[in-house]
Amino acid sequence: MSRFKIANIIAYGFVTLFSIYVLMPILVMVLTTFKSKREIFLEPLGIPSQFGISSFEKALSVGLGSFMLNSFIVSFFAVFLIVTISGMAAYVLSRIDFKINKFVYLLIVAGFAIPPAAVLVPLYTMVSNLNLLNSLFGVIMPLTAFGIPFTVILFYAFFLDFPKEVEEAATIDGCTKLQIFFRIIVPLSGPVIASAAIFQTVWIWNEFLLALIMLTSDDFKTLPIGLLKLRGEWTSDWGAIMAGLTIAVIPVLIVFLIFQKYFVRSLAGLGK
Amino acid sequence: MNKNNTQTNSFSLSNDKVSATILLVPALIFCTIFIFIPAIGTIVGSFYSYSLTSMNNWKWVGFGNYVKATQDEYFWVALKNNFIIVFASIVLQVGVGTILAAILDRGIKYGRVIFRTIIFTPMVISSVAVSLIWLIIYDPNVGILNAIFKSIGLSTPSKGWLGDPNISIWMIMITAAWQNTGFMMVLILAGLQGVSKEVYDAAEIDGATGVKAFWYITLPMIRNVLIVAILITTIGAFKVFEFIFVFTQGGPSNATQVLGTYIYLQAFNLLHMGYANALSVILLIIALFLGWLQLKSSRKA
Repeated sequence: MSRFKIANIIAYGFVTLFSIYVLMPILVMVLTTFKSKREIFLEPLGIPSQFGISSFEKALSVGLGSFMLNSFIVSFFAVFLIVTISGMAAYVLSRIDFKINKFVYLLIVAGFAIPPAAVLVPLYTMVSNLNLLNSLFGVIMPLTAFGIPFTVILFYAFFLDFPKEVEEAATIDGCTKLQIFFRIIVPLSGPVIASAAIFQTVWIWNEFLLALIMLTSDDFKTLPIGLLKLRGEWTSDWGAIMAGLTIAVIPVLIVFLIFQKYFVRSLAGLGK
Repeated sequence: MNKNNTQTNSFSLSNDKVSATILLVPALIFCTIFIFIPAIGTIVGSFYSYSLTSMNNWKWVGFGNYVKATQDEYFWVALKNNFIIVFASIVLQVGVGTILAAILDRGIKYGRVIFRTIIFTPMVISSVAVSLIWLIIYDPNVGILNAIFKSIGLSTPSKGWLGDPNISIWMIMITAAWQNTGFMMVLILAGLQGVSKEVYDAAEIDGATGVKAFWYITLPMIRNVLIVAILITTIGAFKVFEFIFVFTQGGPSNATQVLGTYIYLQAFNLLHMGYANALSVILLIIALFLGWLQLKSSRKA
């Protein structure tokens, strides 16, 4: 019995320590935001003596509001396109016996394996030649493309398990595949659509590399690129930098806490 | 009647083809324009020497860029760093993630959801924000890591936590583990929850409990999930970019470069587009190989 107790203490101790390791940086970020410059320098481990908001004003002055708006626009359109286009393609791949389907599926899996860093130069040249550098459209398009393969794979697995009887009945009633997809499949695919949308929103909201090379003008920067400007503008003013991070991170954390069940579900499905 | 029926069938068949094509084509167009054509462009461009400013001035160099890579010490440093990150990530993220998942699955009774939520949280924060948060922790003047070390009487590195490449690569690993371990934990936890209670009961009758039962019975049963976790971690380790870009910019003197940051440096700082393409092709080959492994393992699963 005492051996059981010791094991129990070790188990709780391990997860507690790990949780502290996870929470500590977030706590440092929030506390530093409110500290005075003197406190930041002299008492790294202390808590702020008062809750000033001057750091927030400095952080907002670099344009965080507009970076956030850009991120919102890019995420909204890219996620909408990714989920729609991937759902349609996965449905065809899982239902219709085209001879080329196997080849198309392999192509999609290959697309999943190719990281943006491996096609950086031609992609930049292409977007540049189309005069789409420094435009939100110019990042939405390639980001959509890079989100499609994974989402097709996700939908494909879902549609394979989807009961075919309803569709067969609809076919007898004379519906085309297009009508079946939009009137029958889509309304019944809520969970997988939610999973795919959550996964892609997190990815696109945080995407860095493509946005970094495509968006150099402040007017079009998304949040991850904009955050670098905090460091450029307020080099050693840690209060201002952490205030900016707090503004950027806390809303995402709140959304995560509200939807955490769905986040976990959508990621857990990956292993299956 | 019979004739009519055949007509309906053939009509609906061709109609099926039309609608199937309409549904399939957008995905193919997007992937072709923005993934496959650039991938081919990378391969073609890797045999030329050109810069962004002289776009019309391509010079054929054959395998010159690849020969250059084999003689470029920093390319090998970058590749070596990627492999260090792969192995360290597997140990830190998959290893620790498995331990955490096992504890949350059967090790503790109370607070499972709270612990799971806390540990998973960093996954939703952008890597740039994560890097900037850890930048203040590692800072030699105001960082809490220095403060903690000093308060317990330990010495701190003279060049700072990020100034010495032998130390900074580990600081990058600690930050990456901070962000990704929770993801691995959730993935593996899902696998563990699929193991039925009967298996544990049977194991107990055979005298295997606790850690022993986990090692000999549970781990082999979640083998497939572990393979997926290791592959996702490996692929992620080759995509590492933000931590290094924010922490060290690949420095000092290129000692912390990885393939991603080195390609970026060659292309957009040094404007060696052809050479950057050759490095990209090497990354592409590694990525496709890992993708192929993933496909193979998921088919088995």
